Amino acid sequence: MELILIFLSAALVNNFVLAYFLGICPFVGVSNKLSSAVPMGLATTFVMVITAIVTWLIYHLILVPYEVEYLQYVSFILVIASLVQFVEMFVRKVSQPLYRALGIFLPLITTNCSILGLALFMVLKEYSFVEGIFYGVGAGAGFTLAITAMAGIREELELADVPKSFRGAPITMVVAGLLALAFMGFAGMITV
Amino acid sequence: MKKQLTLFNEYKKGIWDQNPVFKMLLGLCPVLAVTVSAMNGIAMALATTFVLTFSSFIISLIRKLVPTQVRIASYILIIATFVTVVDLVMRAQFPALSKELGPYIPLIVVNCLILGRQEAFSSKNNPLRSVVDALGMGTGFLIALASLGGIREILGSRTLLGLQVLPDMFEPWLVMILPAGAFLTLGVMLGFLNYLTLRNKRKTDEAQLAHHPELPIIDTSIRQG
Amino acid sequence: MKNIIRMLITLSFVGVVSGGGLALLSSWADPLIAANKKADTERAIFLVQTEADDYELVTDVPFELYRVFDETKNPVGYALPWEGNGFQGAIRIMVGLSQDLNTIKSIEIIDQTETPGLGTKILEDPFRGQFEGLNADPHVKWVKGAPATADNEVETITGATISAVAIVNIVNDGIETLRAAIAEGAGQ
Repeated sequence: MELILIFLSAALVNNFVLAYFLGICPFVGVSNKLSSAVPMGLATTFVMVITAIVTWLIYHLILVPYEVEYLQYVSFILVIASLVQFVEMFVRKVSQPLYRALGIFLPLITTNCSILGLALFMVLKEYSFVEGIFYGVGAGAGFTLAITAMAGIREELELADVPKSFRGAPITMVVAGLLALAFMGFAGMITV
Repeated sequence: MKKQLTLFNEYKKGIWDQNPVFKMLLGLCPVLAVTVSAMNGIAMALATTFVLTFSSFIISLIRKLVPTQVRIASYILIIATFVTVVDLVMRAQFPALSKELGPYIPLIVVNCLILGRQEAFSSKNNPLRSVVDALGMGTGFLIALASLGGIREILGSRTLLGLQVLPDMFEPWLVMILPAGAFLTLGVMLGFLNYLTLRNKRKTDEAQLAHHPELPIIDTSIRQG
Repeated sequence: MKNIIRMLITLSFVGVVSGGGLALLSSWADPLIAANKKADTERAIFLVQTEADDYELVTDVPFELYRVFDETKNPVGYALPWEGNGFQGAIRIMVGLSQDLNTIKSIEIIDQTETPGLGTKILEDPFRGQFEGLNADPHVKWVKGAPATADNEVETITGATISAVAIVNIVNDGIETLRAAIAEGAGQ
């Protein structure tokens, strides 16, 4: 039960994009088409779950026992960067179709702050290993949900007559604001 | 070879022509997250500028020694080190502020503005120019965060830097200090700035543009980063 | 091959310098950070226990608890930091309790992430002040839409019921756990 709550809280109530402002760059940059938004969301979810696992192990098996918690940021970001690289190589070797679908998005994920954010929040909230994994899955699902919703809206927006100076980034921000308002409806529903 | 800008122009370009937030849309996460008040925005911008300036300096110093393949990894390491410095100093000396900005200080590591400047500038220029460029970008970032924070603070809680500026009869717009308000304010600001630029562009004749190739061409499509 | 060695040397050099520098800095910063944290707790303790002069950490309970003394070293009660869920995230409060655990002296919210302007009204005196001298025997109750009538009742905040009820729940939960621990002979 607790695990489901963690999942729902990360995905809906404390949505990484719309409540914590993490991963705004890909959220705005890759959300113009549904066909690219969905793979981006899935790739991010994938990396999030692996990151949750690996950073939890590093923090609790290396950083805490040796009392070098201050190396947190340095080690987390290095691990994430190499992890993404490794995942990219692995996917390329194992499945060509998957690589074609996710490949170009993987390098972009390194600078996606939601990944590092996930690792840091996980430490902050003192989650256990299993809770951490659920948190990762939830955060990924939330990101996918937000970016997919955004892409769906933006595809419709193509047909709308947006004032010239608001085209592109500005209108995307305004739409994101409305989405954030909508997601506020989830607050208070569940809390972890 | 491209004509080098004077140091002053190198500094100035970050403030407006290539403003990291308004023109290049870099580092939006902290821009949106911490601008609940002007003070938070300013603190965040100063922390970012500190990291940016020192990383730029170091990276520019060692730019010829680092093999290209491990370039990014080394940059990230250096940036993360300075971010940890900021975080430790803030928690030791300014506990209240550090509580307020919370986990967004460590997230400076993945602020695309910083890595972007290293890739685009420090790795190709000497330390002095890199520092000047970093300070310029930092100033631009500061202006963006302070103005966004100021607007949200005035409308959302009637105050500016903690001092009340709007009368009590003004009902605060709660939405401004909620996440949604951050997106809406930035969207409207970007739209307004685009409008101004578009209008100016119409007025300026083409010939003048040809003389100043470094003048920005407004690109409303968003870059990844 | 030569290139790989150079890559390794560069990376390890950067790593060692960064790690060494941070180790030095953290040996300076860590005591200060710990002191800040202690000062925060201390401030909250003295806020919820106004006649407090000294305090000590109670070590035989499985949670954080402080016993508070007045100027003449008489125990005057407890200060109990307790955490629970609010509207959007965790809320951490310090509860000041009388010696017999039946009266709340005051509460102080240490950490919260409630909605600014609505949920954050839990920080303000119209709500928070209701806990001063509140009867917690057997537990605190909340009422909605009407002023509190009994001496163990708290009126919730219009527009922020969940946040207000969360505070009441955290307080009750903390007191109950503490009572159970004391009943088993802890904290003496």
